[in-house]
Amino acid sequence: MSAPLLSVRGLDKKFGGLAAVQQVDMDLHPGVLTALVGPNGAGKTTLFNLITGNIPADSGEVLLDGASIRGRSPHHIARLGVARSFQDLRLFARMTVRENVLAAIEHTAWLWQPGGRSARRAREAAVEQALERTGLTAQANARAMDLAYAERKFLSVARILATGSRIWLLDEPASGLDLHSRARFVSLVRQAAAEGVTICLIEHNLDIVTELADRIAFLDRGAKLAEGDPQDILRDPELIGIYFGERRT
Amino acid sequence: MLFLQLFISGLQTGAIYALTAAGFALIFGATRVFHVAHGATFALAGYAYLACTDAGLPWPAGALAALVLAVAFGLAMDAFIYRPIQRHEGSFFTVFVAAFGMSIVVQSVIELVFGRGFVTVSSALTMARQVAPGIYLADIFWVAAGVAIALFVLVTLFLERTRAGIGLRALSENPELLRAYGLSSRRLSAMAFGLGSALAVPGAILTTMTSGLQPAISHQVMLISLAAAVVGGIGSLRGAALAGLLLGVVENLVIGVLDTQWSAAAGFVVLFAFILFKPSGLFGQAVTR
Amino acid sequence: MTAYLLNLATLATIFGILAASLNLLIGYAGIFSVAHAVFFGLGAYAGAQVAMLLVPDVLLACLAGGAVAALLSLGLALPALRVRGEYFVAASLGLQMMAVTVFSEAHALTGGHGGLVGIPLPTLLGFDVSAQGVFLTVCLAVLALILLAIRMLMRGSFGRSLMAIRDSESAAEAFGKDVRQLKTLVVVLGCALAGVGGALFSFYMMFVNVESFTLEQSILIMAMVIIGGTATLAGPLVGVLLLLLLPAALSFLPFIPPTQIGAVQQFIYGLAMALLMIFRPAGIAGQSAGRR
Ligand SMILES: Nc1ncnc2c1ncn2[C@@H]1O[C@H](COP(=O)(O)OP(=O)(O)O)[C@@H](O)[C@H]1O
Ligand SMILES: [Mg+2]
Repeated sequence: MSAPLLSVRGLDKKFGGLAAVQQVDMDLHPGVLTALVGPNGAGKTTLFNLITGNIPADSGEVLLDGASIRGRSPHHIARLGVARSFQDLRLFARMTVRENVLAAIEHTAWLWQPGGRSARRAREAAVEQALERTGLTAQANARAMDLAYAERKFLSVARILATGSRIWLLDEPASGLDLHSRARFVSLVRQAAAEGVTICLIEHNLDIVTELADRIAFLDRGAKLAEGDPQDILRDPELIGIYFGERRT
Repeated sequence: MLFLQLFISGLQTGAIYALTAAGFALIFGATRVFHVAHGATFALAGYAYLACTDAGLPWPAGALAALVLAVAFGLAMDAFIYRPIQRHEGSFFTVFVAAFGMSIVVQSVIELVFGRGFVTVSSALTMARQVAPGIYLADIFWVAAGVAIALFVLVTLFLERTRAGIGLRALSENPELLRAYGLSSRRLSAMAFGLGSALAVPGAILTTMTSGLQPAISHQVMLISLAAAVVGGIGSLRGAALAGLLLGVVENLVIGVLDTQWSAAAGFVVLFAFILFKPSGLFGQAVTR
Repeated sequence: MTAYLLNLATLATIFGILAASLNLLIGYAGIFSVAHAVFFGLGAYAGAQVAMLLVPDVLLACLAGGAVAALLSLGLALPALRVRGEYFVAASLGLQMMAVTVFSEAHALTGGHGGLVGIPLPTLLGFDVSAQGVFLTVCLAVLALILLAIRMLMRGSFGRSLMAIRDSESAAEAFGKDVRQLKTLVVVLGCALAGVGGALFSFYMMFVNVESFTLEQSILIMAMVIIGGTATLAGPLVGVLLLLLLPAALSFLPFIPPTQIGAVQQFIYGLAMALLMIFRPAGIAGQSAGRR
């Protein structure tokens, strides 16, 4: 197996007395889609927050291409090619769909962008392509807050798609989608994976997981209980018991 | 000796600040509404007391009128301003602006009715006597201290012993419960506004007798409550009361070192320093940026 | 009558600069400052001092006013980077209250309560621009330049980045926005423009004192932006016109005694703020929230 693109080593995070993430190791290999599953409150979102620098880790390492990125600020990590979505989407609500995507790919913090007209053309093309692929072209000038539920979810993916990032961390991007949208979503993610994007996907729906995942990492109460081939994990009665047992409460 | 004298007046000012700020903190803790019209509640209560006394009514009647007006105003703000805003989206700033607008309205009405100048109620309580060489104390000091302590004990008992109080506290410790509470959250929120507004009344009445009222007092009280709430740790009743006391004392002690003009600014220096270096305040939970 | 209208127009222009610059903070960046009058004041004092000690050149005074305000805007940028929401509003209120005390006590720089008197008549590159109509033209030109600059910046990536931070700071960070840098930049810019407005104001009044830079003034500017509509170019200007014409209109009503006009005006704009927040939180010129 090739060297991992992003790896997490012995990551720990406590909130007060609650161990939200404990001693987690995880590797994301180039082009591999890893599904991160586990009951609610398992620490999946927290793991993303630790990787992207939104929350400082208590201990452990996050390595990108073998170099530590722990302690870097979120915008820095984003510029290294790690893009993420949020469980609660966090769209730029009062901006239009097109502006949402454009804002996502403009990085320089000064008053204007470098690269002049050709760079601007390239950005505009990337935006239109992302809108096209997520089926949002018709809504391009609507404000994000005025979109329907599924459209919002696709917009959160469009923002990531346009960045051209190597690594996508997707936090329950398909939850609550109707069957039709879900199928569109699956093919969208599959296409990105085929283009070589390394994806880590938090997902509760095991059908989607089976359809998309090359690997599964199973998290419960902050600890990684298992990682491996989807067939092995999904056939493990103990894990499935934890998964469904917890979900019913 | 000067410092002791200033410390004593600081305690008296601080007792008033503490009660008022506790009311603000109670409301914020339970409802997450940054009730900047709390200063207007204070002003309304003070002027109501003043109007009754001027009309020749005995002081209990004036106090009752002040209480009724303050509670009514608090409840009205909740029902007619904050709730409609919160029903549609309603960012904190929307609420802030509306509340600020209403306190401007109250201030202008007071100005139209009572004029711009200072007004006071004269009272035998404010006659200062020398209690030790160079130390003067008026009876009102004991009234302020006694009322503040008694009310604080009562409110604490209420919050810890009664079902409604425990509900309020649960809301303040875990805002998520506000939703889980469903139906009764509305009543609890009204209760927080009523109780919080009532806590502004004693300070308002005492102020009419000591430093007196002017229309702009609503801004001053708003700023003090807000400063005390932040310094104490937003949402913490105990913190706000302690910080109110602290601000009162600091304001007065500053007079011993600098000109009186700096005394009001001193409180805000404390506020500013806390926000920069310890935004969680004395007793608040850590805030994330 | 013309003098009266020219006076109103000049004040509206200066307040237009103030409101437009505060809109950068409130409307685009979501930084809810209630201390804008502080930077207005800093610019006014700096401009007045330059005029009195060096030359009464409008350009120089505007640059000095803007520079001083920009330098001291770090007092606002610091809390803006550390805290949000209620905490930031509280911090800016604290800053406003401290500044008023400093303005009235720092006699050497501000003239204390008495203020700075005897600001010489303004010139521009050696030409006398003190005639009312000419000075109005100068102010209008400054306002036009500022609006043009704001429009260009806000339609570009800088504006999009600010709005992204306003709508979701964490998402903006996740898409590579350097939030600290952007916030500092917009605070410095907004405050510097308020300083420019202050310098013009000091020339126009020929006298400045702390009364013009109090919390009430900050609230008035904030009300202009909010009543007019945030995050639009025209909104703040609409707000300025409404709130400045209001007292003028009231003074024509025979049944309000002149001494009460101030209070009646306050009553109306306070009520307008509250009602707008309930029924049209985006302001008069703003887009209201869509239905869903
Ligand atoms: N910022 C935070 N402060 C305190 N506790 C948190 C915070 N974020 C998450 N938690 C807690 O950590 C645990 C894991 O949460 P999370 O990572 O969101 O779980 P998941 O995404 O797997 O559902 C939960 O118990 C949650 O309440
Ligand atoms: Mg989660």
